[in-house]
Amino acid sequence: MIPKELKPLADSVVEAKLPNGLKVRLLPSSAVPTVSFYTFFDVGSRNERPGITGISHLFEHMMFNGAKKYGPGAFDRTLESNGGSSNAYTSNDMTVYYEDFMSEALETVIDLESDRMRSLQVTPKMLKSEREVVIEERRLRVDNEIAGMLDEELGTLVWKAHPYRWPVIGWMKDIEAITREDCLDYFRTYYAPNNATLYISGDFDPKDALKLVKKYYGAIKPGPKAPPAVLDAEPEQKGERRAEVRHPAQAPTLMIAWRGPAAREHETLVLDVLQYVLSVGQSSRLVKSLVFEKEACVSVSIDWSWRKDPGAFVAAMELKPGADARAAEDALYAELERVMLEGVSERELQKAKNNLAAQLLRELGTNNGRAHALGHYEQLLGSWREGLALASRYETITSDQVKQIAAKYLKPARRSVVTLVPTAEAAA
Amino acid sequence: MKTAAKTKKKTAALQLRPLRLPDRTVTVLPNGLTVTIVERGPLPLVAVRYITRAGSVFDPADRLGLAELTARLLRRGAGGQGAEELAESVDYVGASLGAWAGEDSFGLSLNTPVAHFDAMLDTLARVLRRPDFPEHEVALARRRTLAQLANALDDPDDLADRALVAAVFGQHPYGHETIGSKAHVEAMTRNDLVRFHRERLVPQGAHLFVVGDVDGKRALAAIERVLGDWSGENSGQLAVPVWSELARSGDVVIVDKPEQTQAQVRIAAKGVYRGHPDHSALMVMNSVLGGSFTSRLMQEIRVKRGLTYGAGSHFDQLAHAGTFAVSSFTKTETVPELIDVALAEVKKMRAKGPKPDELSSAQRYISGLYPARLETNESIAAALADMALYGLPADWVDQYRERIAAVTVKVAAEAAARHLPDDDQVIVLVGNAEQLKPQVEGYGRVSVVPAAQLE
Repeated sequence: MIPKELKPLADSVVEAKLPNGLKVRLLPSSAVPTVSFYTFFDVGSRNERPGITGISHLFEHMMFNGAKKYGPGAFDRTLESNGGSSNAYTSNDMTVYYEDFMSEALETVIDLESDRMRSLQVTPKMLKSEREVVIEERRLRVDNEIAGMLDEELGTLVWKAHPYRWPVIGWMKDIEAITREDCLDYFRTYYAPNNATLYISGDFDPKDALKLVKKYYGAIKPGPKAPPAVLDAEPEQKGERRAEVRHPAQAPTLMIAWRGPAAREHETLVLDVLQYVLSVGQSSRLVKSLVFEKEACVSVSIDWSWRKDPGAFVAAMELKPGADARAAEDALYAELERVMLEGVSERELQKAKNNLAAQLLRELGTNNGRAHALGHYEQLLGSWREGLALASRYETITSDQVKQIAAKYLKPARRSVVTLVPTAEAAA
Repeated sequence: MKTAAKTKKKTAALQLRPLRLPDRTVTVLPNGLTVTIVERGPLPLVAVRYITRAGSVFDPADRLGLAELTARLLRRGAGGQGAEELAESVDYVGASLGAWAGEDSFGLSLNTPVAHFDAMLDTLARVLRRPDFPEHEVALARRRTLAQLANALDDPDDLADRALVAAVFGQHPYGHETIGSKAHVEAMTRNDLVRFHRERLVPQGAHLFVVGDVDGKRALAAIERVLGDWSGENSGQLAVPVWSELARSGDVVIVDKPEQTQAQVRIAAKGVYRGHPDHSALMVMNSVLGGSFTSRLMQEIRVKRGLTYGAGSHFDQLAHAGTFAVSSFTKTETVPELIDVALAEVKKMRAKGPKPDELSSAQRYISGLYPARLETNESIAAALADMALYGLPADWVDQYRERIAAVTVKVAAEAAARHLPDDDQVIVLVGNAEQLKPQVEGYGRVSVVPAAQLE
């Protein structure tokens, strides 16, 4: 059930589907004279295979490098000179493009976006240059950043068969090896209108906007065939998995993960509640106990990102120089065990629910936030209405459920642990 | 093509729709606290922001980092309520309450569902007026801060910015980051914090902003109830010495991180203070130089040469001084190429200014997105706070786009010539010094600093 403060938003959404399969969601609001325009493509690193890992992300970069009408450089030049800016991101499950701009530029943006969906050009020259950019991005975020190194190692521990195993940015050798033909094939398969949804939020008349969408996107042909399904062949984990990364650093760092349920499972929401109880705010269990009482670590966080297929519940701990990583791990496990045995208090439960509800409201406070939230929920839950109704679903969660789900998923035999072991060279 | 031509014509005739900050009521309480209230729905949320002139620039010379350590400790016990109980009461209702120290200002911000506004305002007032600074919490905060200072040595981007601040400002009070340094944090005691709180966190001259789904009269009454009988004026040092010159002009400072395969690159020079008369001209000019994806630096370094993932330039404008810096990164071997391209672009802009089409594009880019800065309660409170803190004119926001639109090629070129560096600059690199040093000796006096020296 959608709560009453979100009813006006839900009622204002105009939905449409073009004959070529393109889905459209319009969210009119005149609060500020700007528009956010999101395009969600149902493709991410999950749809890749060894040898072309990272192609989703590299391709995201290529989308800014010229199409038939607007050639190399013209996309951003046109957008910026019309009072707008753009960006994009690639995740394991999806590739998302967005523009924020003054409302007068809506037609121009629709023209720009439809141009690249219809007729992206992948020239050898642009591919060569963009590949170098992505390699620098990988050096920045993975090869020269501790969190990136650990995260990459963790993925290969948690998943043995599923494509979540490789990093979204891809393996270095694969980034170097992806060909122009790989890109073109990828474009034909995944960037067809029937694999995309538009979310347009802001100051416009929905009737006019829909007319423009039909005018510019209507003639784009649907993809030749539906994208191939992704098989989740992940085997059951039969014991703890551990890895070390040895690298110059001041202090040890820990990343510990447990494979969880898929986003659409109700259990995912129970883990959301658990995540808040454990790690959101200074009064959360892990922050209170590990950071302030035991000083087992300098910071602790839990990342429970919903995914289409079963994702990972990940705890990250930053330690003090010279700290004992094993002791920090044990302190974390003791807290988890407490939840598995005793559940959580009613007050903690309500606190988590209050925060999840407030978080959703804040997310919906801007044109950009609204368009993104609806897209995110529709891609992962199957419907954006489900997203707006989340607060009422969280309300039904009980302490017993939290206890059961913690016991089911966070068992020692299901965990994967990566430790950054500082090497001697870096000792200050 | 037909459509593109049509679009062009349409945008050329474009008129800016008026933009106004929402109506606000301003009340100065007898204790000198200026309270500004904006009634704004539709979401049932409220943002509150307290701001006063007590940033890290005023840190005592032997206690660099004092303002920030105080900010970290305000919530760790106040008015006899322990840290845990306090945190729980805030977290429980889905609110967030934080304190921070910037270079110029010290602030508290509260975001809360409106249903809990009164209770959370009580908490904010308690934290602001009566922090306890328990000894064990002070010791703990010190240990955590020291660990963060150490661990930051593993973040190349952070290291580059630390080294930059020191290379630019030297011994000037802006010459340290808000977190301070190891030796100073180690020396801080509870007495330092108590004194900072007594001298600096006061109502006189400070501002409180409330933006959200409140009834203005009720909100003001609630504020008077919890802050009306508060008193005090800032009795600390408030003068900031004039910053005359770049501390390490002509130098190349390499922060050594032998394991890095990529080097962080910064090129810094003097800039302008916040509210400088050349502000609009500089924003437009810098947007062309390095402030957007289509900017010259991004195009030349990333798009044309594939040397990096990110490149840009920025004027950091503080209350009493400012800096200009180019920021980027590239693999160790291509550092000189990146520096050459960046310096050439800065020189070219300094000599000739932007072209007319670049200028008009930058003006649209800045203006088109400007209204989105006023979309949330928090961002409106922040804009109002900036105006108060930096003494910006009352029409700063309402007329911002008009001032941007008034910048001509000539004005932008003059601003570039006045404020971009010729040779008066410092280069900071973070990376493998052994490989970098021979490559960059032509750019100035090279010095190598071990990363640990920046702790």
